[in-house]
Amino acid sequence: MRKRSTGPDVARRNFLKGATLAGAAALTTPVAANTQVSITSETKPKAAVPGPRLAAAETMPPSKDPVTQTSSGGDFMVDVFKTLDIEYLAMNCASSFRGLHEAVLNYGGNTKPEILTCPHEEIAVHMAQGYAKIEGKPMAMICHGVVGLQHASMAMYNAWCDRVPVIVMGGNIIEANKRGPGAEWVHSAIDPAATVRDFVKWDDQPTSLQHFAESAVRAYKVATTPPMAPVMLSLDAELQENPITDAETLKIPKLSKVIPPQGDSAALAELAKMLVAAENPVIICDRVARTPAGMSRLVELAETLQCAVVDNAGRMNFPSRHPLNQSFRRAVIGQADVIVAMEVNELWGSLNAFSDRIVRASRPTYKKGAKIVTLGSRDLYMKANYQDLGRYQEVDLTIGGDAEASLPTLIEQVKRLIDDGRKAAFEARGKKLAAAKQAAVEQAKSDATIGWDASPITTARLCAEVYGQIKDEDWSLVGTAIRLTWPHRLWNFDKPHQWNGVSGGAGVGYNLPASLGAALANKKHGRFTLAFGGDGDFMFVPSTLWTAAHHRIPMLYIVHNNRAYHQEYMYLQAMAARHGRGITNTEIGTTIKDPNVDYATVAKGFGVYGEGPITDPKDLGPALKRAIAMVKSGQPALVDVVTDPR
Amino acid sequence: MNGHKKRLGRVIAIALALGSFAVVEGWAQDVPTGDAGNGKRVYLADGCFECHGRSGQGGAMNYPAPALAQLELPVESFVAFLRSAPNDMPTYSAAVLSDKEATDIYAFLRSLPGRKPAKDFPLLNQ
Repeated sequence: MRKRSTGPDVARRNFLKGATLAGAAALTTPVAANTQVSITSETKPKAAVPGPRLAAAETMPPSKDPVTQTSSGGDFMVDVFKTLDIEYLAMNCASSFRGLHEAVLNYGGNTKPEILTCPHEEIAVHMAQGYAKIEGKPMAMICHGVVGLQHASMAMYNAWCDRVPVIVMGGNIIEANKRGPGAEWVHSAIDPAATVRDFVKWDDQPTSLQHFAESAVRAYKVATTPPMAPVMLSLDAELQENPITDAETLKIPKLSKVIPPQGDSAALAELAKMLVAAENPVIICDRVARTPAGMSRLVELAETLQCAVVDNAGRMNFPSRHPLNQSFRRAVIGQADVIVAMEVNELWGSLNAFSDRIVRASRPTYKKGAKIVTLGSRDLYMKANYQDLGRYQEVDLTIGGDAEASLPTLIEQVKRLIDDGRKAAFEARGKKLAAAKQAAVEQAKSDATIGWDASPITTARLCAEVYGQIKDEDWSLVGTAIRLTWPHRLWNFDKPHQWNGVSGGAGVGYNLPASLGAALANKKHGRFTLAFGGDGDFMFVPSTLWTAAHHRIPMLYIVHNNRAYHQEYMYLQAMAARHGRGITNTEIGTTIKDPNVDYATVAKGFGVYGEGPITDPKDLGPALKRAIAMVKSGQPALVDVVTDPR
Repeated sequence: MNGHKKRLGRVIAIALALGSFAVVEGWAQDVPTGDAGNGKRVYLADGCFECHGRSGQGGAMNYPAPALAQLELPVESFVAFLRSAPNDMPTYSAAVLSDKEATDIYAFLRSLPGRKPAKDFPLLNQ
């Protein structure tokens, strides 16, 4: 029986000598030990002679394996972002974009873009959505190109439906032989953007740095050309990480100014003729105001015509207390002889009543013979799969063009056609509308008094209390879970940044992160940001609060806590009533009770100031005051208000 | 039967005209005979408050849900309305809501304080 050796094989050590520094270092053992080994080896058979391949590998000079580099593709990518004036890069860190991540920090100095740390990719995209609607330009986000993108996708759909530009990027490892085993395989894809292609306007997977530069500039331009939408770039990890080999030939293309497409001037002249001749023209608007100029242009048109405006509030289109704002008197649509829909996503829904019953029925709410005109960029870019287009509405004239950009020409044409006779008629019409508006405001105030001292607190009382404390600030309401009701009925919205619309795709989990993105944009302008968010919405992405605390983004977030997924609660109740099987079980699966969630404590856990739960309306004012003081000191704050459902 | 249909038709016509069963000024009212306490219990247990609010202040589903506090619809019209509600308002058959319970809800709604003069609320005048 051969004696078992426990020491190293000296003969083999000779082969390894000089092969690799690391190997040599490992074998440099103390002399005494070597001596002992040497003795032992005499009793041991000689090692087998290695085969020719192994011998060659061990005797050839080592292959080139550099361990440092002086530049990276990520550096160049950062230069491209700086050229595009991208302020922020929202992300949840991931290895497939570690190259770019490091370059942003150490090459770019973590400024333009500055990294926003988000605990979920959905938060990152929604922050970008809210930011863009206030700042008027896109933010970038980056995620793992597979699992991260899957997380991000719902928020991307919201941004798509909301017509908001977001630069989405995903890391990927294109070449199979470059992928390490395990995560790098399951997190790579041949075509990562396939997951989201139905709701991005354009995507690419650059294979060189020059290709990246051109595609990044193209992506920005495409995303910000109306109709705006998210775009997607898939970034190869090697391209981000490895040295730049062609620095002398790289060039960042110039970003040209985007001129939004304007409606055909002859068509706008025809529309002007219809509007001036009409007895009761009505403007329905949704996502008209892309810039601060949008609202003033729409006001100028409406005042010139003294016509009714019904605002679907996809943007800050029209002042809430303007005498011509008839948004809560939709019966004006039924009296209209000319209806102009501007940037309305789902016109059919604005012009028809629909009953959600066993036999689903609908009826037009507009007058037979009314002329309907659309003006907007929506028809200029559409996709087929996701049905965010709404039912087809028959119209008399479709003007393809950005409404805000088309308004100056339309206003000019309208003014040219108005004679003294029409002017007098318009003034009389305006007076009637103003009186009706005043009556609607008084009705809103009267309605708000019902249940004023009730607990749970009515949403009307909540909104009145909040407005009482913020009305003298330069405020910006950037989210609502109370539908478009009390704030728009009671508050005076008259500045472009005081409202930025809703989610777009009604994907739950929008309010908290999108509000935070808007708050980030408002921060540098010194505005006071606030939002109402539902408790159900909050539960999807509560960790957004950590991002708020970490980046010190001031925002007053009021949880409209009705302890339910309330819309679904009502649907289930209607279903139970229809089936005649009892309606008392509908809390199951629709409510957020047992236990009740303590949102203020959740907020504190994330490092955010928290008040609540507030159940007595008398406690609401003082709690709001404390929270507002915190926000004005530069911190986020949350107030949990237990409310009646709607 | 014909009388019921006629009455129901009248209710629906009113509802369509007003958007739903809103307060109707000038309707003669009988003194409600229902049990307002039990009406409140049923109103909350059956989830009427989900759309119309615990104080009968109104709310919204897909369309606005009207305020019901101090409802001035006659009780028989109210019950008939529940049995065949228009638009998105669920219909409540006698199997899930008895006439007695419906009458009790009516009494509860009539007992609610309803609106107050808005001028007395500084927070509503800012």
